[in-house]
This record gives sequence, C-alpha cells and structure tokens, in this order.
Amino acid sequence: MRLEKCWFCSSTIYPGHGIQFVRNDAKIFRFCRSKCHKNFKMKRNPRKVKWTKAYRCLHGKDMTQDSTFEFERKRNRPERYDRNVTEQTLKAIPVIIKTRHERHKKHITNRHKDGKTKQRERDVKELEQDIEMLPKKDIMLPTQKPKVVVKVSQQQTEEKLMEE
Amino acid sequence: MGGKCPHRKVKKRRLSHKTARRGKFLVKADDAVYDELLKLADAGKDAADASQQLPVDEDLPGMGQFYCLHCDRYFASESVKEEHYRSKRHKKRIKQMSGPAPHTQLDAELAAGMGMPDNGLKLMSM
Repeated sequence: MRLEKCWFCSSTIYPGHGIQFVRNDAKIFRFCRSKCHKNFKMKRNPRKVKWTKAYRCLHGKDMTQDSTFEFERKRNRPERYDRNVTEQTLKAIPVIIKTRHERHKKHITNRHKDGKTKQRERDVKELEQDIEMLPKKDIMLPTQKPKVVVKVSQQQTEEKLMEE
Repeated sequence: MGGKCPHRKVKKRRLSHKTARRGKFLVKADDAVYDELLKLADAGKDAADASQQLPVDEDLPGMGQFYCLHCDRYFASESVKEEHYRSKRHKKRIKQMSGPAPHTQLDAELAAGMGMPDNGLKLMSM
C-alpha cells in the first residue's frame, strides 16, 4: 500500500480516494479529488494556480529545503522486515513531523517579518523626502537643516545677480 | 418522446458527442511534446531537420508530410505550414516549449515535501 501524491495539488491520496488517469503513453496521473481532476482536464498549469503546493513552493510561500524532507521518499526496492527498524521508524515519525511543523512556522514568521522591515524602510525614506509636506508646527527639524536651505537660497540669488 | 429532459429528444440523446471532440483527445500533451523536442535537441537536430524525413500516411492531411512539431499538427501543403509558422498561436507555443519543463508527478512529490526517489543500487551493469 502506498500513499500517493496528487499530480495537481500534491496532497496525499489515501487508498480508496481520488481518481487515476492513464494516458495512452502509459503515464499515470493521480488526483485527490474531482477539483484537481477538473483543473487537469482544463489544462491548467499547477505552477500558476495559487492554491497548489507547486505554486506555494515556487513562490517562496512554503519551506522547500529542509533536512526533514529527506525521510519521506519513494523507495523502489524491497526491504527485509526488521522489527527493531520498524519500531524506531514509528517512534521517529511524530518527532520528525513536530520539528518540521516548528520549522515551517518559523519560516512563515520570517516571511512576514521581511515585509514589515521593508515597509519601515519605505516609511523612513518617505519621511526624509517629504518632511516639508507636514504642517510646520509638527516638525522638529534637526538644527542643521535650515542652514542648508539658507545656503541654497543665497547661491540662487548670487546666480541671479550674475545673470543680471 | 419521453425521458428525463423535455428539451432533448431521444434521437439527440442517442448521439454521442465524443466523435466531435475526437480531435481534443488526439492532440499530444505538452509534456510529451517537450520530451520529444528535448530528445531531438540531445541528438543535435532541430525541428526543421526532423520534418524532412516523415513517413507517408494517406490518412493525414498532405500525406503527413507537413508537420509542426511544436503544435503537433499536420498541414495540407508547404504554404499552409509556412502560414502557420507565422501565426501568433505557433509563436506562443514555441515560447512555451523553450521555457521551463512542464509540471510532472516528480515535481508534485517534491513540492509535497518528499525527497528524490530512492531506487537503490544498480544491480545490472549495462
């Protein structure tokens, strides 16, 4: 018994669920539900549909590279049954799942943080550029700034005088 | 008369519309075309080379001699083929085929958090 992954949305397909399509070149496409099957028939690209795992991984929404992803994989070879190995594996599964969830949570919080810092940078830049837009009584300008303004105005007047 | 739908007569219901949609099933899928093009590229040929030695087929338009590899279509003559090459649809298709590889089951599995498939040691050295 194998838990397959849906071709379209990458969710797990448990036995007795979903539908399978075998193309005339013997390629197998498995779908977890009719939603995914319909989207396949419409020739949609899973990389462009926002709710699929393929889209989320491609656009950095989900964690992609992690050591916890190395455990679950398709093993196309027979394994001799060993009671101890089975026991250890069963013990390891919940631990691995827990660490993966924690790392994923961290990934998402980091993702959100990045946007916040960028917004703050943008705000600071805007404040620097357009501080004159505020009403004058609200501004607490640094003492050097008015001096600079005065200098510029003086230069302009000098240039005007020269032209005249 | 009779049946479930008052607007559809029995004769109409008996007709299958599958034959009308036949062309839709016959068109090669994107990933199949992509693999074919990749195979050609590995052999050091391009699409123009491949279209020169085509098997003669009476059932296909133009005896199966005028074939567009990217769009998987047969044309009646050289001029029609050339016209197709100039079309927007063909150019779009070329762009699509020269881009990243189409989505596969392996991509879906990698996205789901699985590792690369483990096939074990190679037993037969061939």
